[in-house]
Amino acid sequence: MTTADRLTGPAPAPGAQSRVERGAGGTARKHPRPARSGRRRRRAVALLYLLPALLPYTLFAVLPLLHTAYLSLFDWDGVTLPSFVGLDNYGRIVTDPQLRAAAWHAGALILFFSVLPICLGLVSAAIVSRRAGRRGTTLVRTVLFLPQVIPLVAVGILWRWVYAEDGTLNQALRAIGLGGLTDAWLGSFTWALPAVGLIGSWVVSGLCMVLFLSGTQRIDPEIYEAARMDGAGPVREFTAITVPLLRPEFAVALSITVIAALSSFDLIYITTGGGPGNSTVVPGILIYRLAFGGGAVGVASALAIVLTVVISIAVLVINRLSREAP
Amino acid sequence: MSPSPSSLSRRTFLTATGAVGAAALTACSDLTPGASSSEKSSSGPVSTAIPADEKITLVVADADDTTMTPGLIAAFREKHPNITVKRNYTGWDDYLKSINTTMSADSAPDIAQFTSGMQNLVPGRLLLKVGEYGKAYGWAEKFPGLDQITLTPDGKTVGTGDLYGVGAGLSFEGVYYNKAKAQKLGLTVPPATLDELEALFAKAKAAGETALVAGNLDGGLNHAFNVLLSAYLTPKDREAWAYGHQSATIVLPEAEKAAETLKRWVDKGYVTPKVNGVSDNDATAAFAKGEGVFRISGNWAAAAVAEGLGEGAGYFNMPPVTSGGKVRTTGAGVYYCVSSKSKNAAAVAAFLDFTAGAEAAAITAKAGFMAPDAGAMPSQSGLLGDVQQGWQTVVKDAGLQPFIQNSSSPTMGDTLTTQLQLLAGGKATAGKFLAGLQTDFENYHK
Repeated sequence: MTTADRLTGPAPAPGAQSRVERGAGGTARKHPRPARSGRRRRRAVALLYLLPALLPYTLFAVLPLLHTAYLSLFDWDGVTLPSFVGLDNYGRIVTDPQLRAAAWHAGALILFFSVLPICLGLVSAAIVSRRAGRRGTTLVRTVLFLPQVIPLVAVGILWRWVYAEDGTLNQALRAIGLGGLTDAWLGSFTWALPAVGLIGSWVVSGLCMVLFLSGTQRIDPEIYEAARMDGAGPVREFTAITVPLLRPEFAVALSITVIAALSSFDLIYITTGGGPGNSTVVPGILIYRLAFGGGAVGVASALAIVLTVVISIAVLVINRLSREAP
Repeated sequence: MSPSPSSLSRRTFLTATGAVGAAALTACSDLTPGASSSEKSSSGPVSTAIPADEKITLVVADADDTTMTPGLIAAFREKHPNITVKRNYTGWDDYLKSINTTMSADSAPDIAQFTSGMQNLVPGRLLLKVGEYGKAYGWAEKFPGLDQITLTPDGKTVGTGDLYGVGAGLSFEGVYYNKAKAQKLGLTVPPATLDELEALFAKAKAAGETALVAGNLDGGLNHAFNVLLSAYLTPKDREAWAYGHQSATIVLPEAEKAAETLKRWVDKGYVTPKVNGVSDNDATAAFAKGEGVFRISGNWAAAAVAEGLGEGAGYFNMPPVTSGGKVRTTGAGVYYCVSSKSKNAAAVAAFLDFTAGAEAAAITAKAGFMAPDAGAMPSQSGLLGDVQQGWQTVVKDAGLQPFIQNSSSPTMGDTLTTQLQLLAGGKATAGKFLAGLQTDFENYHK
């Protein structure tokens, strides 16, 4: 039975019934045909069920994407009549040095948006799950997940205060006698990108933790018990059981966070706007600048398409790799 | 699971998706909704009469965060009870990025605050040429600085072509200072030349003070750079570049002097330390709280500075390069332009004209702007009075010049911010900095 058949099993019964009856009245040779058309009909009904989701998805996701791809072939300022330029916009993207910098920054952000949060999320999930049921775990879980609930714009403003010259971070450094290390973090050519990246880590870690927590709950406690019988400590339990069995959660966490890293915009727009110089410029910022400030809608669309393709490939690769047997 | 039905259903699914897509694509015939050139954009024969018995609704879109625009609207409505004026306020950054789309819509506001980037609306014929109304009302005599909203048909050059609006409230930049600290440090103000100003900076720095309070996280050093350019560059070169004239350049020895001066101020430690990490607003706030000695900013900051420093707040115009030279500074203002889609052009023109009157001058001045009718501005005391006096000198010397990032190219705001951060961060020399600006200019005017 196909998925569609299972989904639509009972609904088309009367129609199918009548066909079968008609088929029964004919010769035996004609039997297969009505059966096939019945299946097709069921499939049509299945599509009807999909329509409520399919229609908005097509209207609000597929069509705008196609429209963007179409616009990427034009030189258009967003106001006057556009002129067709073919693939010129894509050529401009490949040769733009600013864009190469943006690609590097997006790559660096994967470290902060994916690698770091996944490590932190994993460790905190392991700790929280071992303490499950004890007092305070719910509170810890809530607090760690909280950044995920705050709008990113608010997060950005919050961290601007933290990173400011007389912000909490510098105050803390001065309080412990490290006043010499203080900096205007978001204005530093060296530190702006890591500073922005760490905000991302702060936001995403909670999500990763919750993902991994739900994963650990799925793992049979008997496996842990068996390991404990064999004399495994918490660390061994973590590396030998928790990590390997969380493979599906890894795939989900990695996909979500890599998408967040590559398509990041709001955090950077609020905190540094791409500065100082171009040291935190990412593709999202460039798309926004080009389309809304620079009146280069065609180039911006081309860049958006390239970014979409790159992200799709990244997610495909992640899923393919995680599907393979350990 | 048999493979054939599954692949068939997937194909059907894709076909269905494609069909829906194709249908919707053909449904919207206008995939790139550029303005057609048939739209009317000239006002034609006009008069200054406003229909008094007709109910008219005007919509104003603006990013004016002072009391000026709402004040003018309220006063205008009181004078013309049959005209309802609705206001759509948007924050500055969002306004800059969205106004072109707003003006392209069929429901475009009648009046919009003119900002950089809106030049693109001119070739799209989305702005109304108001030259005829200007003649009928005599705006050339009423409004200073109309050249900043006069554009060529391709929208790329400012200062020549057709008039698209008026400047209701003007702004300009100068130097604020902390009177108490200046006195304590024995600084003689106002300085007669730029060199003297720099000597004051050095003295303040030697006394352990931040000489020039600034914030460059969002490119706030452009205030200092713009006024330095005003002082060094000839008005002709300045305007040619700022207004985006063909083959204009900023790679000039005088401009390099201005950029080097700014860089020296940063390098010698006169400017707020780690200036790239401080926002422009935070710099004003810090200065108003008593930090530092000098601050280069516009008259829009006067209210905040006066509130913070009270009687201890002082102001002088940016000094010229040589003693006794003409005062030149940078300024802009709140300019209103008109949508070519407006159905009530006569009422709109009446509103624009209203902003030049004596009644409007009081509202404009109260909001911290310089009114077009300088004589009608109520005289003020304290810091606001000093600023007002400074404005009179600027007008007398015809020293108001446009910001270089407003109309030179649509992307110049972002580019100038980036380049100033590189300059202040020690990542670019004055020459490289100017070359960076020129590249942006040439990308647009090629």
